[in-house]
Amino acid sequence: MHRRSFLQLFGKGLLVSTAAGIVPSVVWGKSAFDYALEGQNLIQTGDYRKAVEVLKKAVELDPQSDWTYGLLGRSYRGLGKQTDALQAFRKAVRLNPEDVYSRMMIEIMTQKPIPRKRKEKAPLTPLESAAAQEDARMVQFLGADEGLSYQVKRVVLDPGHGGFDSGAVGYSGLKEKDVTLDIAKMLHKRLVYHGKIQSFLTRTDDYYVPLTDRTATANQYRADLFISLHSNASKNRNASGSETYFCSETASNKEAARVASFENAVLKYDEPYKKRKGYIDIEEVLFRLEQKLNWGESGKFAHKFQGRFKQGLPLKSRGVNSANFFVLRRTKMPSILLEIGFISNQRDEARLGKKSFREKVADSILQGFLS
Amino acid sequence: MIRRVVKKRSCVSRGLLWGIVASAVIVASVLMPYKSHGGNVDDIVFQAADYHYKGKLNEAIIEFQKAVRMDPVNEYAHNQLGILYAKKERYDDAFREFSYVVRIEERNTFALLWLGILYLQQNDLDRAYETFQKIITIDRHNADAYYFIGSIYNIRHNPLKAVEYLKKARDADSEEADTHYRLGRAFHDLSMVNNAFLEYYRTLQLKPTHTRALNEIGWIYYTQGNYKAAIAEWQKIITINARDREAISNLAKAYNELAFSALTKGKKRDAVSYWRATLAIMPKNKAAQYYLKQYR
Repeated sequence: MHRRSFLQLFGKGLLVSTAAGIVPSVVWGKSAFDYALEGQNLIQTGDYRKAVEVLKKAVELDPQSDWTYGLLGRSYRGLGKQTDALQAFRKAVRLNPEDVYSRMMIEIMTQKPIPRKRKEKAPLTPLESAAAQEDARMVQFLGADEGLSYQVKRVVLDPGHGGFDSGAVGYSGLKEKDVTLDIAKMLHKRLVYHGKIQSFLTRTDDYYVPLTDRTATANQYRADLFISLHSNASKNRNASGSETYFCSETASNKEAARVASFENAVLKYDEPYKKRKGYIDIEEVLFRLEQKLNWGESGKFAHKFQGRFKQGLPLKSRGVNSANFFVLRRTKMPSILLEIGFISNQRDEARLGKKSFREKVADSILQGFLS
Repeated sequence: MIRRVVKKRSCVSRGLLWGIVASAVIVASVLMPYKSHGGNVDDIVFQAADYHYKGKLNEAIIEFQKAVRMDPVNEYAHNQLGILYAKKERYDDAFREFSYVVRIEERNTFALLWLGILYLQQNDLDRAYETFQKIITIDRHNADAYYFIGSIYNIRHNPLKAVEYLKKARDADSEEADTHYRLGRAFHDLSMVNNAFLEYYRTLQLKPTHTRALNEIGWIYYTQGNYKAAIAEWQKIITINARDREAISNLAKAYNELAFSALTKGKKRDAVSYWRATLAIMPKNKAAQYYLKQYR
């Protein structure tokens, strides 16, 4: 009896320990790790087809293993299935960006063209349907220009100062803020009438708009050109004429630096861009390029508008200068600052006070657009 | 894809066991497809790549230089050297490496792409454009080349052409957040707001912290008169980066404009609360400071 109980217990114990130790792979099947190891061995023997089969099972059980995806990539590559291999390596890198082998394989494989797989189209979401309809409607109305020339379809006009900030005040009390607003409105009307270029204003009345809000407005309307309108002032009452500014890192001369510091008032500049050593940020490359090109375009626009002033206005042309203007620097498009006469000069002030002269100014700027 | 690889930074590796096994596998059989160059070169290339990914640029350069001395036509090693030189701002050397690869294999689009990027960096738009176009003639599914051409058109404010190329970039590789973002911008420039919104949305699906996409969604709402939604988008940016100057400027503008609007409707109390909101986000905002003093 004792011996029988002992044997029964021994038998049960043996069964339990066997089940716990060995049976899992029979009862529950192999683990992802087991399949991956098997796949690895098959790769070593060159049986890539079988390796793919086994590794797919591993992926099904553990879709988060970069190791398995790396092995799958190698198997596909062994079978000559470049697209599938690349997909698997990419998955591996997504799961583990430190997977050196997969990263390297992606870079090696993508050095040259790789055939693509056709993607199955999923049903459209409501937003996608609306977008597709809009796409179909819009494209027929638009003509594409192949060239790389800069295109201007929208302009934001910025009448300088406003509200409590009157800007420069003339000898007879003429305020810069009123002159700039009036000219901006006249120009806006002309652009609306002309119809080819959309125009927006940073302020439409006598209120103060901070410089940051003005640049935000230019960005809001996705302007192709930003024009800030001002009239100049100087301690030297004889100084007169028109000049145009655009943004640059350093001022073109001392006077340009003085004007910029006056217009910038007490603003702090942005932090200069700090390049991270040993790192190429492609978006930053594109951003810097955009800024450089915008500044280049700004220079071209500045010369164009100043040329029009020279031709169309009875004002001495003081030419084009560049300086680090906050209001120009923070925009995402070419931007210029027009200084129309010196309000501190009695003769210029008298001209700026006349509606007919302001009309001429607006016409000259419009001609700059049309040319 | 090249953009994705360049942008990848290190992160903590997963499970120790898997790591050990993976390392063993890699070390054991890593450059199997590269056997043609001889074992030593493969080991050196792998070591160099490892240094590169770990940010040890000088060590990587030394190893890749060794590799190209042993195997002068190893395109991968030359390309990696090119990237490493570019990272070290040795642009002439980088040009030399990529140009050499293109000379020995004109279909090496990776080298061409980097030549294009270097032209962009030198502000040589025309040559960059030509180079990316050349890639497309070799590989009409090259998402990166389409992306850069689309971006060039974006920069030149030619949104229609930008849409044309960025759509191709998106269709070739839909998993690049910046492709969707730039395509969104191009649509936005064309006032195609449904498409713009969709692409910004896709950007955020791939990269929820893409603040520039959030910023643009804010403008779509704002221009549509949905100020509350716009403000919510810009506030999201502030939670991601409390010093995001664009979001701060946009919020300040929104609050200031809402304040003026309230004031013209005679709702002085609302106006005051908006100006307070401006100052909370931009304490030195002159407009809010002045008008708050006037109407408080």
